[in-house]
Amino acid sequence: MARITAGVASSHVPLLGVASDQGKDRDDYFGPIFAGYDWTREWIAKPENKPDVVILVYNDHASAFDMSIIPTFAIGCGERYAPADEGWGPRKVPDVEGHPDLAWHIAQSLILDEFDMTIINEMDVDHGLTVPLTMMYDKPDAWPVKVIPLAVNVVTYPPPSGNRCWALGEAIARAVNSFGEDLNVQIWGTGGMSHQLQGQRAGLINAEWDNMFLDKLIGDTQDLRHVPHIEYLRETGSEGIEMVMWLIMRGALGKSTKCLHRHYHVPCSNTAIGHIVLEPVDGSVPPSPTLEGNNEAAQAAI
Amino acid sequence: MAGHSDIHEYLADFEDIPGTRVYTAARARKGYHLNQFAMSLMKPENRQRWLADERAYINEWPMTQEQREAVLARDYNRLLDLGGNIYFLAKVFSTDGLSFVQAVSTMTGMSVEDYQAMMVAGGRSPEGQRSIKGDS
Repeated sequence: MARITAGVASSHVPLLGVASDQGKDRDDYFGPIFAGYDWTREWIAKPENKPDVVILVYNDHASAFDMSIIPTFAIGCGERYAPADEGWGPRKVPDVEGHPDLAWHIAQSLILDEFDMTIINEMDVDHGLTVPLTMMYDKPDAWPVKVIPLAVNVVTYPPPSGNRCWALGEAIARAVNSFGEDLNVQIWGTGGMSHQLQGQRAGLINAEWDNMFLDKLIGDTQDLRHVPHIEYLRETGSEGIEMVMWLIMRGALGKSTKCLHRHYHVPCSNTAIGHIVLEPVDGSVPPSPTLEGNNEAAQAAI
Repeated sequence: MAGHSDIHEYLADFEDIPGTRVYTAARARKGYHLNQFAMSLMKPENRQRWLADERAYINEWPMTQEQREAVLARDYNRLLDLGGNIYFLAKVFSTDGLSFVQAVSTMTGMSVEDYQAMMVAGGRSPEGQRSIKGDS
């Protein structure tokens, strides 16, 4: 059986990719940021921790999707994804290999669980997805893990609610648990933490709120389900809303978690960097509330 | 929607944040062609044509004259008012060779140096920046 063994969250600031690609990742400015990932790089390389597949929750930044189509939740079911040309030419990092068998299983399971996913077979992936891989794996010739991209609209309002994201995470856990192959699966939530890239209020950072958010990912509290969009906007800047994506990760880790590693740093470009590694303590999630989800015949078919 | 009784109240709150234009459906509609124009600069051949003759290139897009002039003037706060989204407008300033910090600082009324110094010192505090009405 496949199982979710850990959750990882990280900011995905594009400048981190630039720093890595240009070999500046240990200079005075970026050194303290990357140092906070050293623990994770060592941890994730150990055979007992090494994931076979990462479900990578991120948002596209006007790269694969323009304004013509805006999926709220989209899952990548393709074989592979190339790094996107974001206007400066594509990052020279390896292509991202997918896991279509597990991805299609999750897509089917989520739809029967009443999450009406958009399915993507072909797309390029931007810094939202490749920067977290860089932070966790540095510069390998090939990424040592298969990746299922899960893209969330956090650009055009309204994005999904925190509660909906958490519930999607729970449904993802049910889907992974019902996949027959023995796989070590991690789920990563990316983006954030506090930042505002627009208007006269640009540059807003709220370390106190960010650390409250990190605290509440740990243990059995579900308070973060109920943080409204307006609170992210007021407290963490207009782009802090990306943190709802971390709640998909948290929801998938089940009832309670413990923190293995935590890192917070200001600034990187306009943004507060946050990173946390969580392990499920009690990974149980509620049963599917839906008819199809409870129907053995329907579940057996996927 | 947590904390709101209906969509009107949900949207009304967004107008109460100082120095911020939330990218709502209304802005997305208003700025559709502006953002699609910016998106077109992802392609090298379009960037070349844009750089060779900005006015001729932008006139090909069904945007308002106001939007065109704001792009030509690189007036990013104005562009936000006219429905621009920062991730799309980023294609314009990256074509100009500007980083996010350089472009974003132009919206704050601060010099790039002062803005960078503020970020290194911990960023802009949310104190007094949360609400126009509540002034908190």
